[in-house]
Order: sequence, then C-alpha cells, then structure tokens
Amino acid sequence: MLTKAVRFLLLTEGFAVATFAVGWWGVAVLALFWALVTESIRRPVRFATICAAAGWGSLLLLDAVRGPIGELASRFGGVMGVPPVALIAITLIFPALLAWSAASIGLALRRMIPRSRGERADAAVEPVPSGSGGGVAIADV
Amino acid sequence: MRTGIAAILLAALLFAGFRPVGKLPAIGALLDPASGVWATARTANLPPIDRGSIPGLGKPVQVLFDDRGVPHIFAATEEDAYRALGYVTARDRLFQMELQTRAARGRLTEWVGPRALEADRRTRRLGLAWGAERKYAAYDRNSAGFRAIVAYSEGVNAWIDGMRPRDLPMEFRLLGVTPDKWEPMYSLYFFSKMALTLAFNDATYSRLAAQAKVGRAAADALFPVNSPIQEPIQPNGLGAPRYDVAAIPPPGAPDSAAVLAFVARRNALAAVGDSKPNANGDALGSNNWAVAPKRTAAGHALLAGDPHLDLTLPSIWYEMHIVVPGRLDVAGVGFPGVPGVIIGFNRDVAWTFTNTSSDVNDFYAETVDDTLHPSRYKVDGTWHDLEKRVEPYRNRAGGLIHTDTLYFTRRGPMTRELGKWVSMRWTAFEPSSEQDNFLKLGYASNVSQWLDAMNGFVAPTQNGLVADRSGNIAIRSTGRYPVRPGDGRGDVIRDGSVSASDWLGYLPPSRYPFAMNPAQGYLASANQQPVDPRVNASYMGSDWYSPWRAMRINTLLRGDSAVTPDAMRKFQTDPGSARADAFVPEFLAAAAREDSAGRADATLHESARLLAEWDRRYTKENRRAALFEKAMEELNNRTWDELLDGAGSDTSARPPRMPEAQVLLELMRDPTSKWWDDRRTPAVVETRDAILTASLRAALVASRKAYGDPSGDGWLWSNVRQANIYHLAHIPALSALHLPVQGGPSTLSPSGGLGTQGPSWRMVVELGPEVRAWATYPGGQSGNPASPRYKDRLGLWLNGQLAPVLFPKTPRDLDHKRVTSTLTLEPR
Repeated sequence: MLTKAVRFLLLTEGFAVATFAVGWWGVAVLALFWALVTESIRRPVRFATICAAAGWGSLLLLDAVRGPIGELASRFGGVMGVPPVALIAITLIFPALLAWSAASIGLALRRMIPRSRGERADAAVEPVPSGSGGGVAIADV
Repeated sequence: MRTGIAAILLAALLFAGFRPVGKLPAIGALLDPASGVWATARTANLPPIDRGSIPGLGKPVQVLFDDRGVPHIFAATEEDAYRALGYVTARDRLFQMELQTRAARGRLTEWVGPRALEADRRTRRLGLAWGAERKYAAYDRNSAGFRAIVAYSEGVNAWIDGMRPRDLPMEFRLLGVTPDKWEPMYSLYFFSKMALTLAFNDATYSRLAAQAKVGRAAADALFPVNSPIQEPIQPNGLGAPRYDVAAIPPPGAPDSAAVLAFVARRNALAAVGDSKPNANGDALGSNNWAVAPKRTAAGHALLAGDPHLDLTLPSIWYEMHIVVPGRLDVAGVGFPGVPGVIIGFNRDVAWTFTNTSSDVNDFYAETVDDTLHPSRYKVDGTWHDLEKRVEPYRNRAGGLIHTDTLYFTRRGPMTRELGKWVSMRWTAFEPSSEQDNFLKLGYASNVSQWLDAMNGFVAPTQNGLVADRSGNIAIRSTGRYPVRPGDGRGDVIRDGSVSASDWLGYLPPSRYPFAMNPAQGYLASANQQPVDPRVNASYMGSDWYSPWRAMRINTLLRGDSAVTPDAMRKFQTDPGSARADAFVPEFLAAAAREDSAGRADATLHESARLLAEWDRRYTKENRRAALFEKAMEELNNRTWDELLDGAGSDTSARPPRMPEAQVLLELMRDPTSKWWDDRRTPAVVETRDAILTASLRAALVASRKAYGDPSGDGWLWSNVRQANIYHLAHIPALSALHLPVQGGPSTLSPSGGLGTQGPSWRMVVELGPEVRAWATYPGGQSGNPASPRYKDRLGLWLNGQLAPVLFPKTPRDLDHKRVTSTLTLEPR
C-alpha cells in the first residue's frame, strides 16, 4: 500500500500534470475522477482540495525558480487591484475550490453507484484507523 | 446539501474560468500557473542558449543579446537579417506591435468593443488605413523596402506560430485576445500612424480658431507664417537670433466664416489625440545637433540625436544592431513593426532626425450632388464619382457594432462638417517608399551618399542631420513640400470646386532648407522655422514651434569650441531656458516700474523678490521655476483673453492653442496694445505692465495655494513637474509615473503638460577612427512587465546619463561576459 505521503505527492503532481496537459480545468476533471475511484483514503475531498492547491503551488514554485515571480506578482496585482500576496492566494484557492467542488460531486456520484459486489456504495469505505476519532472516511467535510 | 453547493460552485468556477465576467478576463486561463499569466515570468529573462526556426530563411542567423538587451544580428543576407529582426522584435514587443497597428487601422473595437468606437471612427475617417493600403498597392514589389517588410513579416509570424502558451504577453491575456497573423502591410500602417503624429499640421486650426474670434488680420499676426525670432536650421550667417518684431493688430470683429474651418480642423485633430496635446510648442519638440571636427576636443565630428515623442512603456523605440558581412553594419533604433534602423550609425556615418513640422495637409470645401448621401463631386463644372468605402466596426466576437460609409475625392478623405463637405489632401497619402529611404541610410559611407539616400523621401518631412568620419556635417529638411496656388499658403480652406485650388507641384529638393559644413562649425535643429524667410521665402508652414530650444543649443554650441561627447550628453539635459531669459526680466522690470509709480503692494514685492531669486534653470532642486510657470500661465490667459471661450468671463476654458511665447514677446514691444486690456474689467484699460504685475501677483497666490510656503518642498521643481510614462494600454500598474526630471517648458529636455512626451531616445556619436556611441531611452527592450529589461534604462534616462553602445564587427568581437543570450535561427 502506498503511504499517505506518497499518495499526496502523486495526486499533487497529478494536478500539476493535468494542468500542464489539458489546462486549468484539468483540475476539476482529475478531482472528479479521483473522488469517483478512490477508496483507500479518508476524507478524499479534503485530500483532493489540498493536493490541488499544492499542485498549483508547485507550478508557481517552478515559475518562481525560472523567473521573477515576485516582480510579476507585483505588476499583475497592480493591474488587478489586489496585493501581490492576495493574488497568489487566489491562485491557490481557485484550484482548491475547483477540486473541492468537483471531488464533492464525484463522491456523491460514487455513493449512488452500486458496487460490483452488490455492496452499497456509501459502505465501501476504509475503516478509520483507531485513534482517529471514529466515523468513516467518506464522511468528508 | 453539500453536493448542491458543490455543483453550484463548480458551475460558477467553470463559468468564470472559461468566460470573462465584467471587466475580469476569464480567470481559469489567466491564473493557470502552467500557461497563464504566471508562466510569463519564465519568459522574463532571455535563455542563455536558444534556438528557433523561420520559414524562408536562407542560412542560419546568429543573434547575440548584450546586457542592455540589444540584439546583434549576424546574417548572410539583408532579408535573413530582417526575418531575424521580426522574430526577436515580436518576441520582445508583440503586444505593442499589434496595438499600434490596430490603432492605425481603426480596429481597436475588435479588442475592447464599443468604448473604442469613436476613436476608431475618427482614425478611419482621417483615411489612415486607406492611405496605407494605397501606398502598399503602389509599392514596388522588387524594391529592397518591400522585400524587407515581407521578410520582417515572415519573422514575426514564425515567432507567433511557434509561441508556447507562456510566451503570450500579459496584455493579451488581460484582454482575452490573441495576436493576428502579421501582414507586410502592417509596417505601412505604422508609418501612417507616425505621419499622423508628425506630419498632421494643425496651424490652420490654430489660426482659424483665432480668426473666428478676432478676425483675420489679428489671427495672421498671432499665428504667423514666419517666426518673429529667427535662428533657423539653415544658418543665416548672423551668429545670433534676429528679432523680426512687427506690430500685432488689435483684436478685430469675429469672422463667422472661419467657424466651419475651425470645426473641420477640430474634428480632424480629435483623432490625433495625445500626440497633439493641448500644449504650446514650449513643452514639445525634438533636438539634434552636430559639431565639426574643428570645434571638438578630439578633432572628430560629433552628433547628438534627441527625438521627442510620446513616452510609453514599452518605448516607441527598439534598439538593434544588424550585420550582413561585407554589406551592412548598422546600429541604432527602429520602430517595433518596421524593419531596420531609423536613427543610428554605421562604421562611417551617424544620423538623426527632428520633425520639420511643415504644413503638408490642406483642406478643400467640396461641391457634392447630395448633401446627405453624395455619390459625386464637382470640379471645374464636371462631376466625378466619389470613391466609397464601407467601414464595418466589429466587436471581439465579430459582431457588427457600427458601419460608416466614407467618401474620398481625388484629393483624399471627405468629412461632413456643419452640413458642408470638406476633403483633405495630405502628402502622407501620396505613393512613397520611406521604408526604402530608411534602409538605404545604413549603406551610406559619407554625408553625400546619405543625403542621396534620402532623396525621394515624402512624409513626414524631417530635419535629417548627418555626420561622417571625414568630418563632414550636414542637415537638410527633407520631404515633400506642396506648392500652392495664389499666395501659396496652406493654412486656409480652399474652394474644392475648381482645380485651380489644387497643388501646383512640390518644392524641388534644391529649395529644401540645407546646410553642409557651415563656417560656424556646427548645425542644430529644434523644430524651429528651418530657413530664414529673407533667404528662402517659400511657404513651408506657419505657426512654427517656439525657437527657445534652438536658441539655447546654439548658445551652448557657440560657447564651447572644444566639445566632447560628455558635453554633448550634458547639453541634452541642460536646464537653461531662453524663454525664461526673455520673460523674467520683463516681469521684474514691470514690477520695478509699478513700484516706482507707487502702485506696488506687498504681494507684488514678494512675488518679484522670489522670482529674482531664480537662476532661470529648471533643475530638480530649484524652488522658483514653479512661480515663473504660474506667472506665464496667468500672463497668457490675461493677454489672450479675447481668444478664450466664454469671451471675457471664463479664463479656464482655453482654445486649442494660444499663440506661441515668441508672439507674446513680440507684443511686449507695444506696452499699450489693446491686447493687454483685460475685458473682465470694463472700467479699466490695462497696459502691459498692469498685466505683467497682475500675473505676477496672481502667480504667487496660486503657487502658495498649490505648493504651500515658498521655502517648502512643495515648490521644488521635482515636485511640481514630473514625467509620466504610461504603459501603452494606460495601465497605471505597468507604468512609471511621477518621475522627477530636469528640464521644463522650453529647455532642451522639455517637460510640460501631462509629462507624457519627452526625449524618446538620446544618442551621442563620435565619428573617430572607430565610431563610438552612447545612448539610452526611457524604458527597456522587453515588453514583458515582469522582465528586468522592461524599464532597466529608466534610471540612466532620468539622470541624463547614457550607456556605451556595443558595436562589434563579428560575434567574436562581442565581449562574452556581456552576452546574456545567444539565439540561433535556422531555416524551417
């Protein structure tokens, strides 16, 4: 089994690659797909939300390594009438919201799809490890 | 519940991501860090090693970028060089190229919708696109100029076609548009735009506006054909300014016939916009001067170029160096969108230009067959078909938002003003090949060859200054000067129904203002009247720019018999003012006379004392230039109150232009002229001294109100007058605003009005055994606002400094430590 950290890295990079490959809306597509298929992680919506923001954050980091992102943020923020930091925050919040909304819908769809073994979709969840406060992972918030 | 919220949110995000909302562009593509606006950071710095390809390229081209961002293009043929130039210019300045072309074509609505409609309509009505397309159709397909614009377009398109998403400039993203394919004709659109800036003479407008209010005799004197102060471009041998003072007739009865002409010109001028601001010639204009070896410290000819244009970010200029071994080796600046160097130097010759500001456009009242929808116009009793052109205006989605039908006579575009049709003939519409002229300059090896290369140049008329390594210097006001019938003047509206009103031809080049190796050992131009009318009385224009800058540079050059390149540089930002030298004594003398007559009060005493403290230099740290400028403003409004709208009651509404300050100085010789009388005080008849002292008093009151205590920093010139360099789309965050500069109205580095015009390129060239050059412009080579090359030259420019220009003969000659990027372009 992949550790949670590895999953985090994979999904984060998945969002980055999806953005590279198809564009910004690739975030929504991947989040939806992720929520539909994942069974092995608790709170998949929250997980996708964080990974999407981290994915775009890693792309921003890549831009920063290869160019004057601070200067650009200052100029771009001036054009948009918002502080540079706020602009960066918006850039991270935007994919996060995309991922949250798409993953939430994906999760809801998964609940409605009967499992092949005849189980109810909303029962097909991984037990929450002891000490985590109980409940089931699918009850994402 | 949560799923519902998520669905609504997702829909909203997708909508805002894909589509613009209000003024916001589609935020998805904008914020995308892989290919959106953030990714442009990755293109801010040039890659150390880069490759590209261009269809049609004959052989590989090597382009080395130095640490000033200047491309040194080494190509096997000229056409390959221009392909490479198109490629690298598009890489640095694509948005600028496209915006300028759209503005000249009147197609901004396709970017920003109806808010640009009126601007587009005015542009098209002026016939800018029509003129450019006629020129293009007539252009010799085999000429070097035509081949150059075609090759240039291939380079631009190679860049556009090969652009990665991150290469799309920020401005395109903010507007939500993409660049068009670049057509060769676009280079000619740019020339049309420059013709509008430089060759659209508004003398007729100024004079007719005055004539409508004070009659023709007075108007002729206020906007004279000949400048009352003569220090012409073609030296007249006097070695000093000559004052041709004439009596100015008193204000006469209004001339209602002039109103039509006034309106026609006003509407036409609206299209010129910021390039013809509501400012007198004191605050505008270009300079150039050259010094012969006998008056330079090193014994080599020196040349200074200092063209003044709109200050924008990115700059109107793009610096380049083009080498085609054995054929061409030229450096300098050109316009993004046009191939080649316009102002610059090669291994033997250096050159630069100022605008001649001659009168090369005339208006004709036409007789048409139908007032509302004409199809024919009459000349000498015969009806001729009008050329019609239906102009659709579209929005970004391609939807039609307006349609105009434009009419053209054989003279040019025709517009309807106050129910009458007026056509315009303009040399800028004539078939011409300026592109060829500019390209040929790079091949000249001496002054004579350079002058030959400028033969046939049509518009805009330019004072071309040239110096060579043999020590020759020359200047010629080159371009097509129409010869009119009758009195020959062009500042009237003529009867279009008779061919006798048409131009008779053009002034022969032998009559152009010209000087070569004059005895005085130097040559200078600053947009002043080019030739002394006592030497050459040909009508070339009227209402010339004020002569103050010309007087100042001639004074400086007369006073230095061992000029160095550094002195040339310092002259470019010299803070002295011939205008202040002329008017400050007038104010102080009037104050003294009023004091002697017992009419001075405490305000006048203080105002005169403060003005007397001024050394008449517009340095950033002086605190008295502000008072003088307020006094001049008051003096203008009080003296020329008869010209103001709202006759005699409202001095805030100014006509398009007041008479130039040299006319005001002329009036000083008549202390009791009726022009001095202020109509707001009907019980009193004011004299010159009364107006001068009233202006001085009012200036102190106004200055205290605006700037505070005279000893405070509010009076610092650096706080009063600043340069404002706006981004081309007028986005403040991408602009450089409120920049303190040395210089004021009428100094060699003039600043006035909104501070949006000024020295667009400063260059000094020494024509020694090896040509050396120093230069800068306000801005930087890159159009990417995030790039360190976006405005890296601003500091130098603000401080009046210049950077040495690298001029390597081969790629190996360029110090590798100063090479920041190497681009290899290969045939595709």
